[in-house]
Amino acid sequence: MNDIISLNLEDQIGLLETKKISSYELTTLYLENIKENKDLNCFISVNEDALEQAKVIDNLKDRQSPVQGIPIAHKDIFCVKGHRTTCGSKMLENFISPYSSTVFEKLENSKTIMLGKTNMDEFAMGSSNETSFFGKVKNPINPLKSPGGSSGGSAAAVKANLCAFATGTDTGGSIRQPASFCGITGIKPTYGRVSRWGMIAFASSLDQAGIFARSALDSAIALEIISGFDEKDSTSINSKVPNLKEETTSEMEHSIGVPMQIIEKIEDVNVKNNFLESIKILEKNGFKTKQIELPFLEYSLPSYYVIAPAECSANLSRYDGIKFGYRCDNPKDLEDLYVRTRSEGFGEEVKKRILIGTYCLSAGYFDAYYIKAQKIRAMITESFKNAFKDVSVIAMPTCSNGAFELGSIQDPVKMYEQDIYTIPANLAGLPAISIPSGNTEEMPLGLQFIGNHLEEGKILNISHQFQKLTDYHV
Amino acid sequence: MKISKDTLKNISLLSKLEIEKSMKEKITKELESILLMVDQMNEVDTDHVKPMSHPLSKAQNLRKDLVSEDIERDEYIKNAPQSDDGYYLSPKVIDQK
Repeated sequence: MNDIISLNLEDQIGLLETKKISSYELTTLYLENIKENKDLNCFISVNEDALEQAKVIDNLKDRQSPVQGIPIAHKDIFCVKGHRTTCGSKMLENFISPYSSTVFEKLENSKTIMLGKTNMDEFAMGSSNETSFFGKVKNPINPLKSPGGSSGGSAAAVKANLCAFATGTDTGGSIRQPASFCGITGIKPTYGRVSRWGMIAFASSLDQAGIFARSALDSAIALEIISGFDEKDSTSINSKVPNLKEETTSEMEHSIGVPMQIIEKIEDVNVKNNFLESIKILEKNGFKTKQIELPFLEYSLPSYYVIAPAECSANLSRYDGIKFGYRCDNPKDLEDLYVRTRSEGFGEEVKKRILIGTYCLSAGYFDAYYIKAQKIRAMITESFKNAFKDVSVIAMPTCSNGAFELGSIQDPVKMYEQDIYTIPANLAGLPAISIPSGNTEEMPLGLQFIGNHLEEGKILNISHQFQKLTDYHV
Repeated sequence: MKISKDTLKNISLLSKLEIEKSMKEKITKELESILLMVDQMNEVDTDHVKPMSHPLSKAQNLRKDLVSEDIERDEYIKNAPQSDDGYYLSPKVIDQK
């Protein structure tokens, strides 16, 4: 019976459709496994109504959606009406959402069962899951290692079979890096493809919701559900969502762009060889590859660490201790209330980013930092635009290393460097996916495909074809 | 980039954050190392480039200004740390003379 929880989505859907298993039974199995794996600390809260909901769904006369009755997990950044949404912070420890995010609603309307809400770095700021107020998440493959961040709880939950798939968010790599560390598939779609309504904001021009699953095909099924125009999000794209499952499995020719100048600079020999090996597998099976240049890509990290903190400092100004969230005890006046609420409610990493953002936006520094970073962002986007004239997808490693030991990275810049290969897609708003491509020192490595705007189908297709040729994902 | 004591004081004031005395040196060092990394941007000539604020350089969508749902005041105010009869409570901001 326990094998059922590790089946891919299509097989689980098949069992539900033929009534070989009920949603109630499937939900029970996942809840039991969540309990057994409590030590991984994947969940901040477990949904007490999950079994009741499964019962209701089992009693529906017909199937209204492909994922009907599938138990899933949501990153605790998505507001769910009547449920606690903490964003991994003491600031929102007791916050009960008065409305639901579009991502949650779309999956709820598709009759999925929410098992619970997953742990994450505080306000999605971190690459190791160590900044969560609710404690770090452990990597299911080796509990001494980090699951990556910020969506580490969702990634670890999928890997440990605590849910069929999970939602996540990616501002600079927060889906792809944990997917890589946990050996699963994680996709961040085009900026604007999925509504940000009800998703707690970190850096609004970079934040994008996506999916963690066991394969590219599973991701395609789930991503299609959460995608689509939403008038509640002013940056949502009004473009038809294609049938992603069909695009993923269709016959598609690819020309894969490989930025050799970047690959040659990879310091970790295992990571470099693993990437080149993946490219060889594709070439051997008839896929065309092409060397490309992506000028200015090395300036992604500095540009990101101005833009993201600047937007974070503005977004997080809403936490004032008045309307919702934490408030300090016995404030002596309004200023004292603001300062102590924020100083006590935010963790160290969040405070650091607010300070950096405030510095970059302050009088006298705005042009030198913020405008300069936005200009570099434009140049990086242009680099991609030019590259996509010749190729259909771009391949890169997801991360410059495998999962590191929890507590082993103390230097903030070293931690930020975790995202050097993932940040460029966020800056340019491009869709990108990470799929397992092998191991280094017994921990998984990820292969990343970046696509042109709105071309999620192409990166899902090449990922699916790679997964048909390899078994790193099973 | 060096962060002076005054700069740290100014940005924490603007951020409404208090930095504990024992943390000041560590935070200053970390902020300096982040800004040092950020300063690599200066190697790039960006003179004739237009800054980009939106990944798809589109104008933002605006929806029709119509009531879409009723907001339950009591539901929202339940999250307030302190409230009274539908009002948010804060420390007194107007002095009584």
